[in-house]
Amino acid sequence: MKFSRLIDKVEKIADKYQQGDQVDSQKLTELQSLLGDKIARYQARLEEDMSEQKRDKLETRLKVVRAQLQKSQDLKKSS
Amino acid sequence: MLRKILLPSILGILGYGFWVSPDFKEIAAGVSIFLFGMLFLEDGFKSFTGGMLEKLLQKTTNKTWKSLLFGIVSTTIMQSSSLVSVITISFISAGLVTLVAGIGIIFGANIGTTTGAWLVAAFGLKVKISAYAMPMLVFGIVLSFQKSKYLKGFGSVLAGLGFLFLGIHYMKEGFEAFKDTFDLAALAVEGYPGLFLFAGIGVAATVIMQSSHATLVLILTALAASQITYENALALAIGANVGTTITAIIGSLSANIQGKRLAGAHLIFNAVTGIIAIAFIGQFVWAVDAISNRVGIAADNYTMKLAVFHTLFNLVGVIVMVPLIHRLADSLFKVFPEKAKDLAQPLYLSEAAIEFPETVLKALKKEVWHLFDSAFEIMAHGINLHRRQILKSTDLQKTIDEDREIHELDIDEVYERKVKVLYSAIIDFISNAQAQMPSIYSEEMFRLRKASAEIVECVKHVKHLRKNATRYMVSDNEHIRDEYNRLRYQVSMILREIYRLRGEGDYDHALGMLELDELKAEIQLEHRQLDERVTRILRNDQITAMMATSLLNDFNYVDETSRQLLDTAQALLVSHSDLVAEAAREVVLDKDEIEQASAA
Repeated sequence: MKFSRLIDKVEKIADKYQQGDQVDSQKLTELQSLLGDKIARYQARLEEDMSEQKRDKLETRLKVVRAQLQKSQDLKKSS
Repeated sequence: MLRKILLPSILGILGYGFWVSPDFKEIAAGVSIFLFGMLFLEDGFKSFTGGMLEKLLQKTTNKTWKSLLFGIVSTTIMQSSSLVSVITISFISAGLVTLVAGIGIIFGANIGTTTGAWLVAAFGLKVKISAYAMPMLVFGIVLSFQKSKYLKGFGSVLAGLGFLFLGIHYMKEGFEAFKDTFDLAALAVEGYPGLFLFAGIGVAATVIMQSSHATLVLILTALAASQITYENALALAIGANVGTTITAIIGSLSANIQGKRLAGAHLIFNAVTGIIAIAFIGQFVWAVDAISNRVGIAADNYTMKLAVFHTLFNLVGVIVMVPLIHRLADSLFKVFPEKAKDLAQPLYLSEAAIEFPETVLKALKKEVWHLFDSAFEIMAHGINLHRRQILKSTDLQKTIDEDREIHELDIDEVYERKVKVLYSAIIDFISNAQAQMPSIYSEEMFRLRKASAEIVECVKHVKHLRKNATRYMVSDNEHIRDEYNRLRYQVSMILREIYRLRGEGDYDHALGMLELDELKAEIQLEHRQLDERVTRILRNDQITAMMATSLLNDFNYVDETSRQLLDTAQALLVSHSDLVAEAAREVVLDKDEIEQASAA
């Protein structure tokens, strides 16, 4: 192995150690399960009676959590 | 005064010594090269270890035995208790390690440092180490010119060891030649007077050289050349142990009160150990002879016996002091009481914290939270609310609708006094730290600087909002009053949510970061609804066109404040060490994604 390549390899290992893995796949799964629970919770609350203003807010929140879930699924696929 | 006299006196004595004795010159040069090697070694370890040492240190806070072990192992590897002390002080200053854990590390470092005596006695004085020193120096210097920071660090460590070996070689040669012309052993003093005299010399030599290691090597080489007696060497070693605390005390001068407490613990430990060693010197000598006999060290091998003695009395010191560690910490809390905190001044940014990257980041994050606290109070008063009302009200909207008290406040004056001072300190700290930080920390530093700038911007936005909010919150026109109360609610609700999330643990911080996205989307929804409401009440002549213009302008301030506060919180809530938080950071939505998600 060339000396320069050896140095590159050492640097890569050291950088990986310092930065940690890019995104931990297991942690993404854990996060997805929590987001899934949250979606279910919001959906259940939407079944209840509430003012239109509160309903609008809750629906907006629900859309955001769904978008986050989607993003985490895309991330997991690409990693 | 003393400082003014000390340096010329030392230089004068050295100059005279060089003039009368070329051998003394060789010994002094040996000591200088040895100390230079220590500097190289410390520099090398600092860059070579990256954040590893700091990460390990953080994990040694929960148990005393772990702290002790960390002190022993790290000092054994790096051969510098000073470096370990300085790292510990910087961590305590930044509030990352408790005083008890710090004391444990210092106790361990005292045992770790004794391994140096073993190495020199067993290896340095028996083998011609200058033969190893030369190639080490050459390889070390060549590597330290490389671009790669790891090679550079490794090069510094290698060159440092090379200089240490070369220094020992010159000291050895110097003493060998010195004994032909001058016999120091003739000056030996018997009994306790000799013990105290030579312990004092040991203290003075270590204070001057700032390294007990160098003193100990000097003692060992002098002992090997029979220039001092074994008994006097024991006293010198005790003195060197006490003298080494001076390095820690100097290091603590720039540290906060916690750093000073640790330096106090170091001094007490070494002084108590020294007193025990002097008081029971007869018993120690007997124990050293017994141990040496058992492990096969010859009766006349005084250098090895000195290494045994050095380890033994430090070990006894640890055994005596460890059960008292909590009591010692309590006493230090009393001797160095916490001064009443001036909240307008930075609390975590000490010079000691700047030494290591992980400490810099942690201290900085705490200080930005401190800036947030100061800004919180100003913003709360700016919208005519008390901090406790925001944090404690069960129905915040109702509190805002009913409370019409106007707070006397000169935002410019409070901003200058409470925010600008902190913000300037943070910016100054970042620019100083950035020069020494590895590039992998740049992104995080940038994020924290941006967060501070955004907090400051928020205060300025609230200043603009305050004028009309104060005017219309007491207006008889219920439509404009309601709208301004909505704006006040939005700012206070976000402050309250951030405060709540901050109080949660690391794991909930990760979820909190994502929850802040929901708040951002709510703000966008509110923006759309406000546009509709303003159009409607203006059309119905319920507010004037002037009121509508003010309202829309002020909503922009609130919108900007909310967004910046939420961005700041997301930057501050992420924890480096938490993988869930790292994953959550990747899932946080950007501005367009939120707009898309919240679109009707």
